[in-house]
Amino acid sequence: MDKTESDLDLPQVRTQNLDLYYGADRVLRSLNFDIPRGCVAAFIGPSGCGKSSYLRCLNRMNDFISGARVEGRVLIDGEDIYASGVDVIALRRRVGMVFQKPNPFPMSIYENVAYGPRLFGVKDRETLDETVRSSLEGAALWNEVKDKLNTPGTGLSGGQQQRLCIARAIATEPEVLLMDEPTSALDPLSTSRIEELIRDLKSRFTVAIVTHNMQQAARISDYTAFFLLGELVEYGTTSQIFTVPVDKRTEDYITGRFG
Amino acid sequence: MGLRMGKSETTSHHFGGWGDKAAARTAFSVSTICILIMGFILYFLVKESLPVLKATTLSELLFGMDWYPQETPPALGMFPLIASSLAVTFLSSAIGLPVSIVIAVFTAEIAPRRLRSLVKPLLELLGFLPSIVFGFLGMVVVAPWLQARFNLLTGLNMANASALLGMMMVPIVGSLADEALCAVPRELRDASYALGATRWETIRRVVLPSALPGVLSASLLGVMRATGETMVMLMAAGGAAVIPQSLFDPVRPLTSTIAAEMGETPVGSEHYHALFFAGLILLLITLAINLLSAKIEAKGLKTKGGNL
Repeated sequence: MDKTESDLDLPQVRTQNLDLYYGADRVLRSLNFDIPRGCVAAFIGPSGCGKSSYLRCLNRMNDFISGARVEGRVLIDGEDIYASGVDVIALRRRVGMVFQKPNPFPMSIYENVAYGPRLFGVKDRETLDETVRSSLEGAALWNEVKDKLNTPGTGLSGGQQQRLCIARAIATEPEVLLMDEPTSALDPLSTSRIEELIRDLKSRFTVAIVTHNMQQAARISDYTAFFLLGELVEYGTTSQIFTVPVDKRTEDYITGRFG
Repeated sequence: MGLRMGKSETTSHHFGGWGDKAAARTAFSVSTICILIMGFILYFLVKESLPVLKATTLSELLFGMDWYPQETPPALGMFPLIASSLAVTFLSSAIGLPVSIVIAVFTAEIAPRRLRSLVKPLLELLGFLPSIVFGFLGMVVVAPWLQARFNLLTGLNMANASALLGMMMVPIVGSLADEALCAVPRELRDASYALGATRWETIRRVVLPSALPGVLSASLLGVMRATGETMVMLMAAGGAAVIPQSLFDPVRPLTSTIAAEMGETPVGSEHYHALFFAGLILLLITLAINLLSAKIEAKGLKTKGGNL
C-alpha cells in the first residue's frame, strides 16, 4: 500500500466512539483517542477495567467471544477495521500480538518464528532463514538461540520464550504491535530485558501495551491511557499523566490510593 | 487431657504414620498381585505353546502355508493366519482411524457447543455396543449387500470384517482424540489466530501437532482393539485359512482361529499347543505395535518440540 505524506502524519490508531458489549454488558464506553505512529502507548487501570478488552478490539480477537459486539470505529492507517468487508486475516497480519503468558508453539524455535511467514505462502528457504534471523535479532534473542534453532521453543526459559513470541509476532512485519501484560509472568531480569526491547521496537512499530505495573508504563511509554470501569478516564503524554494528572481518579490510582 | 488427645490424633495422621503405611502397603500388595497375575498368564502362554515345537519347527509354524490342524500328521503353518490378522488390522485402521480423527476434529474444533454435547455422548454410547452386535450386523446387513453389489461368492470376507472393525474403532478413538484436541491450550490457538491464521490453518498446523501424542495413543488403542477382536472376525471374516489375494477374499485371523478351534481339540494335542502359540504371536504383535508407536511418539516429540 502506497502511503502519502498526509497518511503518515495521521495518527496510526484512531479510536472513535468505541463501545464494546459482551452480551448485555457494556464493557467499553465511548472511547475516543489517537495513538501516534512510532510511539509506545500504555494502558493502565485496575483489573476488569477493560484495557485488555480494548487491546483485543484492535486485532479483532474479540470476534471469537460469542455475544461480543462493537459500536463506533477503530481506524488503523485511516481504514475502519470494523467496516463490512474488512479482511480480518489481513488485519491480523498488520496488527501483531504478544500475550500475557508466553505461548510458543510446540515446534522448533525456527518453526515458531517462520509460522507467520509460512502462512502467507513464503516457501523459499533463504527468505525464511533471513526472516527468522532478523526477527530473532529484533527480539534480542538471536545470540542466545542461533546455535539451537531446531530445538523446541518450549525448552527456553520464560523470558526467552516471551522474546521468542515477540520474534514470532514481528516476523510478519506488522505495523502495530499489541502487548497484553507481556512481563506479568516473568522475573525482574527478564522483565527489564523485554522493556529494553520495547523501547527499541518503537522505531519500527507502534506499540500498544497493557500493563499492571505503573512503573513499567512510566519507564517505557510515550503516552498513557488510564481506564476505569470501561471508560477512558484520562489520556495524555506519560510525563503529564504521571506528574500532573488532570483527573482526581487518575491521581488516586497512580499514587496507589486504590486499584 | 484434651491436649493429649489432640496430640495423639495428630500423630496418627502424621506423615509416615500408620495410615500412611497401611495405604502404601495396600497399594504395594495390590500392584504386586496384578503384576504376578500378568506374569502367570505370560508363563502359561509360553509353557503351553512351546511343546508345539516338538511336533514342528519354528519356521514351519511361522511361515508354513498350510493350516490343517486336524489331519494326521497335522499341518501347522500359521502364515495365512498371521497374514490375515495383519491385513485386517491394517485395513480396518486405514478405514477407522481417518474417520475417527475427522470426527474428533469436528466435535472438538468445529461443532458448536450444543451439537458437541449431543454427538459426544452418542459416540461414547456406540462404544458400549457389544462386538457381537457388530458381528451380527456384518452377517445380516453388510454381507448380503457386498455379495449382491460386487457379485461375490460370499459377503463374509476381509472387506466386511475390516469395515466393521473400522466402525468399532470410531467411538473409542474418536472420543479419546477429541479429548486430546480439547486439551490443547486456548493460548496456542489465540497465538495462531493473532498471526493471521484461519481456523483450518490453526487446526492443521498447531492444534493437531500439539495433540499428536494423545491422538497417537488413542489410535493405538483402536489398532490393538482391531488386532484382538475375535467375535466380529468369527462372524464376518469368512474363515478361510488362505493368504488374501483381494479385498473380498475370506480370511481367518489368529483370534477367530483360537476361538473356533480351542473347543474342538483334545487338551495336550499338537493342535492345542499350536493354538496357544497363536496366542503368543498375537501378544507379540500387539507388543510390537505398542513399541513402534512409543518410538514414533518419542520421535514426534523430539522434532516437534512438544512437551505437553
